Amino acid sequence: MRRALLAGACLVLSSQLAGCITHTQPEELFQLTAESPRNKAMQTRFFETKDETELLSASAAVLQDLGFQVEESVQDVGFLRATKERSAREYGQDIGRFFAFFLSLGKFIMPVDLHQRIAAMLIARPINPEATRQEVRIMFYRVVWKGDGQADRQHIPPGQQKMEMLRDPVMYQQFFAKLSKAVFLEAFTL
Amino acid sequence: MTRRAVWESIVLAGVLLVQGCVAPQPSQDLLAPTEAQMKIRSVQTRAFDVKDRQLAMRGVIAALQDLGFIIERANEPLGLVTAARFAEPNFYDVLGVTVTVRPQAEGRMLIRANAIYNNKPIEDPKVYQNFFATLERSLFIAKE
Repeated sequence: MRRALLAGACLVLSSQLAGCITHTQPEELFQLTAESPRNKAMQTRFFETKDETELLSASAAVLQDLGFQVEESVQDVGFLRATKERSAREYGQDIGRFFAFFLSLGKFIMPVDLHQRIAAMLIARPINPEATRQEVRIMFYRVVWKGDGQADRQHIPPGQQKMEMLRDPVMYQQFFAKLSKAVFLEAFTL
Repeated sequence: MTRRAVWESIVLAGVLLVQGCVAPQPSQDLLAPTEAQMKIRSVQTRAFDVKDRQLAMRGVIAALQDLGFIIERANEPLGLVTAARFAEPNFYDVLGVTVTVRPQAEGRMLIRANAIYNNKPIEDPKVYQNFFATLERSLFIAKE
C-alpha cells in the first residue's frame, strides 16, 4: 500500500515536472532571453544607403528568386511577408517509419512529415535620423503537416501540425549574400 | 396505474425539455464598462515621448522582433501592428499581440497592447510591464 502511494506521488510529481518543461509562462515570452541578441545578429544586416524603397523592392525580388510568394507588404513601415509551400518528405523519416513498423510487429505506423509552408518576414528601416543607414531584418519559420499513421488499432488522422522557427545561420547568410548582390552594396553586421 | 406513471413522466420530461429551450436573457449591463475593464486598459496602455507616429510604429515592430514575434500585419495609417509567436520551446501554444499607436497630444504617443495566449486574453500586468520595458529600450535606441 505504502509503495503504491509512493509510486503514485512520484508519478504525479513527474507529470507536473513535465508540465513545467513544455509550458512557458506568457510573461517570460515578453522578456528578452540570452539567445535574443544572437538571433538578432544572425537575422540583421546593415546597408549604407538612403534608398529604403529600393532595398525593400530588392528584398522582394530576392525572395521571389528563392521561390517565395509575397503575401503582404506595407511600404510605410518597410514590411514584407512571403511564403512558399514545398514537400517535407525526408528519407530518414521513411526509414524510421519502416523500422518502427517492423519492431512493433506491424502495430505502429509512425506519421511522417508530408508538406510544409516556409514563411519569411522582413523589415527594412532607417537606423539614424539622416536615414543614410538602413537595417534589414528577416525571420524564417515553417509549418509542417504530417501524414496519417496507426498506433495499435487506433488510426492517426493526417494533418497534424508542427510549427518551428528556422534558426539555421546558413539560410540567413545566403539570403543576405543575394540581397547585397541585388542592391550592389556591402552588407554589414553589428 | 403504471400507464398514469408513464404519462406523468412524459409530461415532466416535456416540461424539462421546454425549460431547457429558454435561452438565458443577456443582462442590460453586458456592454457597460466595468472596473476590471478600466483597470486592464490602464495596464495595457502607456504614453511615450515620441513625435513621429511612423517612428513609434517602427520602434514597436523592432521590439516585437527582438522578442521573437512574427509580424503578421501592419497598417501604417491606422497605427496597427499584429504579431504572434510560439511559446517556445513548445510549438503548440501560440501567443498573439495587437499593438495600436495613436497620437495623444503634441509630441506624445499612446501605445496600447492586447495580448492573447491560445485565444485567451492575458490580464496579468506583469506581461505588459515586460513588453513596455522592451519597447522603451527599442524606442530609446531608435531616437538616438
